[in-house]
Amino acid sequence: MKKFIFSRLLQSVVVVWLVYTVTFWLLMATPGDPFIGRKQPPPAVLAALRQRYDLNQGDFHAYLAYGWRIIAHGDFGPTISYANWTVLDVIRNSLPVSVALGALALLIALWLGVAAGLLGAVYRGRWPDVALAVGTLLGISLPTFVIGSGLLMLFAVETSLLPSGGWGSFEQLILPACTLSVLFLAYLARLSRASTLDVISSDFVRTARAKGLSPLKVIAGHVLPNASIAVLAFLGPATASVLTGSFIVEKIFAIPGLGEVFVNACLDKDIPLVLGIVLVYTVLLVLMNLLVDIACALADPRIRL
Amino acid sequence: MRQTLLIPSLVLFIVGSICFYISTPHRQGANAINFCEAGQIHTLDPDKMTWVQDIRVATGLWEGLAQLDPKTLQPIPGVAKSWKISHHGLRYTFYLRRKARWSNGQSVTTADFLFAWKRILQPSTAGGYVTMLFHIAGAKAYFNSLAAGRHPTFSSVGIYAPTPYKLVVTLTHPCAYFLSLMSFPPFFPLNPRTMARFRSHTPGLASGHYDPRWTRPPYLVSDGPYRLAAWKFHQYLELRPNKYYWDRQAVKCPGLYVRNFPDSQSAFLAYQSGAVDVLSFVPTRFAPALLRQQRQHLRDDVHYRQVFGSYYYNINCRHKPLNNPLIRRALDMAIDKRAIVKDILRLPDRTLKVLVPPNSIDGYVSPHGLAMNIPAARKLLIRAGYPGGRGLPVFKFLTNSGAAINVRIAQAVAEMWRHNLGVHVSIHQEESKIFNQDVVQGNYDIARAGWYGDYMDPTTWLDLFRTGNPNNLTGFSNPRLDMLLHDASRQADVAQRFALLHEAEKLLVTRWMPSLPLFQYSDGLMYNPRRIGGISTNVRMITLFKYIHRIHRAVPQAAEAVP
Repeated sequence: MKKFIFSRLLQSVVVVWLVYTVTFWLLMATPGDPFIGRKQPPPAVLAALRQRYDLNQGDFHAYLAYGWRIIAHGDFGPTISYANWTVLDVIRNSLPVSVALGALALLIALWLGVAAGLLGAVYRGRWPDVALAVGTLLGISLPTFVIGSGLLMLFAVETSLLPSGGWGSFEQLILPACTLSVLFLAYLARLSRASTLDVISSDFVRTARAKGLSPLKVIAGHVLPNASIAVLAFLGPATASVLTGSFIVEKIFAIPGLGEVFVNACLDKDIPLVLGIVLVYTVLLVLMNLLVDIACALADPRIRL
Repeated sequence: MRQTLLIPSLVLFIVGSICFYISTPHRQGANAINFCEAGQIHTLDPDKMTWVQDIRVATGLWEGLAQLDPKTLQPIPGVAKSWKISHHGLRYTFYLRRKARWSNGQSVTTADFLFAWKRILQPSTAGGYVTMLFHIAGAKAYFNSLAAGRHPTFSSVGIYAPTPYKLVVTLTHPCAYFLSLMSFPPFFPLNPRTMARFRSHTPGLASGHYDPRWTRPPYLVSDGPYRLAAWKFHQYLELRPNKYYWDRQAVKCPGLYVRNFPDSQSAFLAYQSGAVDVLSFVPTRFAPALLRQQRQHLRDDVHYRQVFGSYYYNINCRHKPLNNPLIRRALDMAIDKRAIVKDILRLPDRTLKVLVPPNSIDGYVSPHGLAMNIPAARKLLIRAGYPGGRGLPVFKFLTNSGAAINVRIAQAVAEMWRHNLGVHVSIHQEESKIFNQDVVQGNYDIARAGWYGDYMDPTTWLDLFRTGNPNNLTGFSNPRLDMLLHDASRQADVAQRFALLHEAEKLLVTRWMPSLPLFQYSDGLMYNPRRIGGISTNVRMITLFKYIHRIHRAVPQAAEAVP
């Protein structure tokens, strides 16, 4: 186990470095100049700006300077578009918003998805299963902006049951969290249905039934724990992607999360900010996958690390 | 084994709750006003700001030597209680009021102005509007020699403070609008005592550099009507009255929240639900419908005003054949500007035939521009040697893709040129960063442009065509225009100066035509005039936060219950 974790951590470092390199050169390859706006400052001011962002001595110098600052100081430097905030300030302020929203969305997806998957498997071929198939198909294929706008129209505009957006109270969290959870819910429902079917037809379940356990006890005690290992494996990447924010959901519901900041940073060619967010996302993704691998090994002794 | 689902759920719940708790704002006070901006606040460093929303917040936080009259926008005494101007308009003597205080209680003195002006004149400060200080004698030379790596002394700049309450400024040439610049962020004072701890000593960075955290609460100290109480990134800024402000009784609003929404539709929904009191824009998508409701007296909260800004097309005058003014004039005369405003924009904007929006500046008379005249435009093309547009290349017509309306206007104009003149263009939409770069590098034939005047003077537009100005994007260069602008800058007499500028603008819009004016911007605001007062309407889109307040009705408890 220790050896596994060590080698995975080593791999992670290489992955992060690769991601940094590719992102940096892709950014440099995109057209546009972050310092040219509608009103032109004198050339000396532009030169001072380029110097502050280490962009005055060629791209390779910037590549090394940014990389060194991240490794040596754990600092991504100042942002270009929000001059009073460093990249770390921005992430520190926006990431918790996305994490809070994502955590609620994942909780909803996890419990409803697994429950729906169980139901579908237990009533296989009958109407709950058909309803599940249709529902998950819709959930996977409907784009977020359709679901979000639909929920917004229904619960905020037409009935005023819930606030239309913003950040600060739990009610404001409900609609965006539901919107964000739909896709994961649908995936999880399918996943848990398939793995439940696998487990239900195995020998130890038949034995449990044969010794007279009630159907509920069979499901709760034997089927669910074993079926949820597959769910657990999916949870890793899902967590990373949901935590770093969804641009569309944040835009529809006016949520000050990381998704919107990231998209605008790309459009503004805010090099330090894009690098910072991409690296945080990478580290999260790598860490989550590692955690899930360890959790799976703990949950299922047959998995050898 | 049963914990396979429980443990992740528990972890998600705990992490989510902690994140939710640290990211949510604290409760806001009663009677606070929520003001929604169209864009993010980019910086609160007055020396670096160029965005209209940043400037609006800065005029609420700081006060310069002069402040603006909310109605006329003329400069009135601010930190300076009075001033004297020498008879040739070159020397300004400001007398500071002794009651002027920073939000930490310290006195505002001339040293604070000297500090701030010296700071912006360091190239390493990277002040976007540093050129505005070049009216001051010696300032430009000081800046340029610093940029060249020399070490000039600040005493060579025409700023001199004989006492802590008397400031003498010498200009290079008479500047009619110098006083109104005193209310503009680059001229605001800064408090060196509170900023000292943020001074950067990083080698490689020049001494003018400060850790940007000095602009964040609780470190930011300002001398205006408000102080910065909180700033939550991407959420809101909270302004509270500065209790040391000399004109404290004029500030009636107990708290002001400046917010921004990522999307104009969600901002509008927030306004509709009452979460926002003032919307600093009218969402373009809903504007025509809202205006119709207003005309039918179904609502009274849409407020439009003509502003000191215009929408026009730049023509690249560097290359053949567009370096020929005859073609540029033909292009202008073949555009039906009325149709664009009436049928495409459907907003209260006005068509424009000149560069400087007419009737904005006291005493300045706009020239007559060219009227739409298709036969005359065709004749101009014949004179230029391209009858019926034959022989002309397909022009590269650049527009930025930020707002859909830009593309629709471009398509309409392209069709007018094709139909009326036989001139063909290919429309290129670009992201604004790429668009700006292409325009600055002259990589276009015709490009969309918009400009908001920075100060109430025709030169804020006419200078755009001066040879050597970095903002001259058309590459237009004409010695006669440079001469007229130069003569005007040396002229102390206002009427004679305006006559020279009138002549310059007349030549620009009737003969040279480096830009084709389309319409004057109008700027919308939304607020209920029976609940929010003190919002001044003026052409520079400056809503002075100082005077904004909530209107209480006779029966306040009933009024508060209405959603």
